[in-house]
Amino acid sequence: MLAVEGIDTYRGPAHILNGVSLHVDRQEVVCLVGRNGAGKTTTIESIMGFLPVRSGRILFHDEDMTTLPPHERAKRGIGYSPEDCGVFPDLSVGENLMISRWLGDTVARRRNGGPRPDAEAQAFGLFPEVRNLLQRRGLHLSGGQRKMVAIARAIMLSPALLLLDEAFEGLAPVVVNRFAEAVMKIKAMGVSILMAESHLGAATRIGDRLYAIDRGEIIFHGPPQAALADEKVVKALRG
Amino acid sequence: MTIFIIQILNSLFYAAVLFLIAAGLSLIYGVMRIVNLAHGSLYALGAYVSAWVVGGAVGHAMSGALGLAGALLLLPIGAVVIAAVGALIEPTLLRPLYRRPEEYHLLITFGLLMILEDAMKLLFGGTPLSAGSIMDSMGSIPIGRLLYPTYNLVVVAIGLIAALGLWWFIYRTRFGVILRATSQDRRMAAALGLNVGRVYVQAFAIGCFMAGLGGAVVVPAQAAVLGMGVEALVLAFVVVVIGGLGSLEGALVGALIVSLVRTAGIQFFPEIELAVLYLIATAVLLIRPTGLFGRA
Repeated sequence: MLAVEGIDTYRGPAHILNGVSLHVDRQEVVCLVGRNGAGKTTTIESIMGFLPVRSGRILFHDEDMTTLPPHERAKRGIGYSPEDCGVFPDLSVGENLMISRWLGDTVARRRNGGPRPDAEAQAFGLFPEVRNLLQRRGLHLSGGQRKMVAIARAIMLSPALLLLDEAFEGLAPVVVNRFAEAVMKIKAMGVSILMAESHLGAATRIGDRLYAIDRGEIIFHGPPQAALADEKVVKALRG
Repeated sequence: MTIFIIQILNSLFYAAVLFLIAAGLSLIYGVMRIVNLAHGSLYALGAYVSAWVVGGAVGHAMSGALGLAGALLLLPIGAVVIAAVGALIEPTLLRPLYRRPEEYHLLITFGLLMILEDAMKLLFGGTPLSAGSIMDSMGSIPIGRLLYPTYNLVVVAIGLIAALGLWWFIYRTRFGVILRATSQDRRMAAALGLNVGRVYVQAFAIGCFMAGLGGAVVVPAQAAVLGMGVEALVLAFVVVVIGGLGSLEGALVGALIVSLVRTAGIQFFPEIELAVLYLIATAVLLIRPTGLFGRA
């Protein structure tokens, strides 16, 4: 579904990603683990189209989208929940969700391929409490609520692939379990997930496959359990 | 008492025009974070175009056939032309500079100001252009023992309708949500599938339309003259400094404050009229740097 083939990405003059390759298949949860600054967010942002890729290719459903602008990637079915959640602070939660529902509707109409799943029911099914926040402004949400809104908003697009950047960061352990459940539910909806994660523990619990990244290079690829056993990975993640 | 009412009406007339200009300036800044120094010149160009159309051959033919209605129908052409000019300027001159620091935006819009001022001199010459026929044929209404031009009241109504319309547009429509989302986080807006480039052209064109509309409505009452754009830009800046750049409510309240002070100033302290305005702006900057309605 998603294939990243040997991409090199720079931030200004700094060479961040060095030949990163990875792939995500249908209905699969793939974790990208690494320390802060290892290149996780840069990878996600390259896939979303925020950073230009100097070499290599990014394919989605076999279409080369290396040079497409971010909004065209979203229209092709990529949902995104950034590290800072990106909830519009001066918009109500309802308006935040509305934007992606409109887009989801437009895209579904253009594709004309079968009925669109009830995106609203899906989003509220993940986090029923979001329903009670609809009138509240983004600015007045707690950290956990903001993450819920960001994920619900991405689901409203009815994406085929969801990019989650540090979805569990800063959450209380009890809440982390709810988010892990949500990830499983999203997968059950038929959505693939690529998530950037700094904790190997959380990643091994929910990932079907795992990539470890360090200093902009993929240093491991395989089943999560194998990562735990790999001394090089564990060492790189501890720093 | 009559004088007092007329002064209030006069300041509401100024407030309506100033609001149209300042709201456009504020909208463009709010969405695109660009301070458009050429905004006043776009207002002036709108005034010139409207005066030229209404006072020109087409205008004479239309007002001959349709009377006042014909002239009034032609008046908004200035606004439409300025919106089109804006839709041309944004992708060609501004878009290449978004990634650059702010001083580049100021430089390019300042350059645009100079070009527009000279273009107006070239196109329309030094003679003032007016669409006074509209004002004349509307007549006046008695207030106390004095007569007051009806057209001024029409402008006040237009300002009010524009304020309500803009509020509704920004807070109640789908495009308004898109506009606010883009202004708050353009990256995330793009990630949700919004074509930020298109939103920018539209926002800039709407802001320019407001400036052009300000020029169009003013020109039956006051002739379009060279230099009116720069004067308007300065006053519009005082308005947005007081009200808060990027805030619609701020543009409205700022326009009311500036016109009330100006009208009172012309009546009571004409020598220091502008100085008082700048003092108010300075005081707001010192006490509330983001303006009365602005957010940091």
